[in-house]
Amino acid sequence: MIKGIGVSGGIGIGTAVVIKQQAASYEEHAADPAAEKNRFHQALEQFCEQTEKLAEEMAQSAGEKEGEILRGHILMVKDPFMQSQIEEQIDAGSSAEAAVDFACTLFIQMFESSGDELTIQRAADVRDIRQRLFELLTNSGSSALSALPMGTVLVAEDLTPSMTAQMDKAAIAGIVTQNGGRTSHSAILARALRIPAVLQVENAAGRIQNGDKIALDGSSGEVWINPNSEQLAELEEKKKSYEALTAELRTLVGKPTQTADGKQAELCANMGTPSDLPAVLENDCEGIGLFRTEFLFMDRDKAPTLEEQFEVYKKVVTALEGKPVIIRTLDVGGDKDIPYLGMKQEENPFLGFRAVRYCLKNQALFHDQLKALVMAAAFGDLRIMVPLVTTVTEVREVKAMIASIQAECQEEGISFGKTIPLGVMIETPAACMIADLLAKETDFFSIGTNDLTQYVMAADRGNQEAAYLYSTYDPAVLRSIERIISSAHTSKIPVGMCGEAAADPLLTPLLLAYGLDEFSVSAPSVLPTRRTIARWNMPEAGQVAEHVRSLSTAEEIQTYLESVQK
Amino acid sequence: MITKKITVTNSQGFHMRPAGIFTAEMAKFKSTISITANGKTVDGKSLMYLISACIKCGTEIEITCSGEDEKEMMDKAVSLIESGLGEQ
Repeated sequence: MIKGIGVSGGIGIGTAVVIKQQAASYEEHAADPAAEKNRFHQALEQFCEQTEKLAEEMAQSAGEKEGEILRGHILMVKDPFMQSQIEEQIDAGSSAEAAVDFACTLFIQMFESSGDELTIQRAADVRDIRQRLFELLTNSGSSALSALPMGTVLVAEDLTPSMTAQMDKAAIAGIVTQNGGRTSHSAILARALRIPAVLQVENAAGRIQNGDKIALDGSSGEVWINPNSEQLAELEEKKKSYEALTAELRTLVGKPTQTADGKQAELCANMGTPSDLPAVLENDCEGIGLFRTEFLFMDRDKAPTLEEQFEVYKKVVTALEGKPVIIRTLDVGGDKDIPYLGMKQEENPFLGFRAVRYCLKNQALFHDQLKALVMAAAFGDLRIMVPLVTTVTEVREVKAMIASIQAECQEEGISFGKTIPLGVMIETPAACMIADLLAKETDFFSIGTNDLTQYVMAADRGNQEAAYLYSTYDPAVLRSIERIISSAHTSKIPVGMCGEAAADPLLTPLLLAYGLDEFSVSAPSVLPTRRTIARWNMPEAGQVAEHVRSLSTAEEIQTYLESVQK
Repeated sequence: MITKKITVTNSQGFHMRPAGIFTAEMAKFKSTISITANGKTVDGKSLMYLISACIKCGTEIEITCSGEDEKEMMDKAVSLIESGLGEQ
C-alpha cells in the first residue's frame, strides 16, 4: 500500500492506464515564417474549436464552473500579447513549436514567480495549453484518453483540465497522480465528477505499470498496487457501503436540518483555513460555526498584518454569501510553537497564559485581529467568538476594545460592521458555572466540548494513564452541557456546539432534547449529522435524555446510548 | 492621458473570468490602457499580464488611459470594475 492525499472520496477498483506526457521534441528553426504562422493559426483555430466543444461537454457533465476552466484556456490563448509574442518569434526564425514554447514558458515563469497561490495555479493552465498546441502542431494527440476501457484507473503525473475533458468519464474508476493539491483542477474536477482520486503519490507513473490492478481509497489517500484477494474483497465491501451511504446523503443536500417531527436546528461547519471553503460549501452547511484563526499565525516569523487578516476574513464571509460566519479570535498557548509570540514554556500550559488571556495582555496584536474582523464584518454576517473565557471581566474588556475599534473606523471613514454579534466559547468549568452571567453580556454561546471535557474531568486525553477519564458521556460533562444550554435560553441567546461531540450520533438525541440551537461539525460530517437529526423526534429524544439523567457513569451512559442509536 | 485610482471589490479580483470580461471590453477601444497594482504596471488589454499582476478583491489599482477615446475607455473600465466584473 502506498499513500498520497485523498481529494475525492470513494473506493475505486480497476486496471491501471498510465499516461506519460512526452517531452516535446521539435525543430528549433524554420525557414519560412509565413508557412509557420499559417501552421500556428491552424493549430490555434483547432484548439479553440476543440476546447469550446470540451467546455460544453464539461459544463454538462461536471457543472458550469468546470466548463469555465476550459473556456479560460481559449481566453488565454487568444490574448493579443500571447499571439504577438509567438508571431515575433516566428518572424525571427523560430518554428511554430519553438515560438509557442517560448511564449508559454514566459508566462509560466511569470505566474510561478508571483508567490500568489491562485496565480501559480494558472501556470498549470498555460502548461496544458502548451501541451495541446504541441499535439495539434505535430498531430500527436493523446487519443488514448477517449477510448479507455471500462474500469480504468488513470495514472498520470498530473491531470490537466484538457485531459479530464477528453477522457471518457464513465470508464474511469479512479484517478492517481503524482502532482496536484486539494485545490488543484484535478481535485476539483474529480470531486465534481464523483470519481475517487488520490493525488501526490510519489513517482506514481513510475511505480505503477499499465495493466496493474489498482485499488484506491479517495478519502484516506491509500493506493494498493495489485492487492491480494483478501484485501480486494474487503475493499469491494467498503465500496458498496460507501456508495449506498453517499447516495443516501446526497438526497439531503438542500434539505432543512430538522427532526422527524419538524423541530429545526442550524447545521454549520468548522473550518481551519480558507482552503476548507470548497468542502464546506459542497457539503451544504448553513453557516460557519467555528473558523479557527491560528493558521494565520503559524509557520511564519512575524504576526500577519491587519490587511492580510482582513483579506482572509473577508474572503470567507463573502464566500458564505450572507450565511453566518463565526470567527474565533486567536486561541494559542504555550503548547503551540509560535516563536515570535514570545510565549514561555509553562509547567501547566492548559492552565496558563493562553487564548483570550494572552490576547488581552498583547493589545497591539489583538487590536489588529479585532479591527480586521470589524472591517470584514461589513461584507456579511460575521460574528466574533472569544475562546477560553473564565470571567465576565474578560468579556467586558473585549467588548470595550471592539467598541473603540468601531469608533476608530468611523473616524477613519472606512466601512465596518456596526452591529457584530459577540459570543464566547464555553469550555471551562468557570464559564459553565457563570453561564447565566455571561449570557447577559453576550449574544451567543458555543460549547467547545473537547476542552470542556478535559477541564471538567481534569484529565488530559493525551496522557495514557488519565485518558480513560476523558469522556464526553460522563454525567459531569453532560450536566455541564445541559446547564450551559438552559442558562443561555433563560437569557434568550442561542447556543451552538463546535467540538467533536456535535457530530457524535450517540449524543444527537441528548443535544436535541437539551435544546441545542446549532451543531457545528467538520465538513464531511455535515450531511451525516443532518441524517441523524432527521431520524429522531423530540418526544423520543426527551425520553433518552430523561433516562440518561438516571444513570451514574460514563460507561453506563455510553452503553445505553449505543443501544438506542439511530 | 488620464489616470484614476479605484479599489477592486469583486470577490475573485482579476481572476480568469473577470479579467477575460475586462480585456474583451477594453479591446474595443483604440486608446491604450495600463494598470498599476502591487508596484507592477501591466497592459490592461492583456489577460495574461492582468493575471500575473495578482489583483485581488480589495487591491487598489491605478488605471491610465491614453489615446483618442481615453475618456470613454476610462468610464467603461471604472464602471466594469464597480459593477463587479460580471460576478453576481
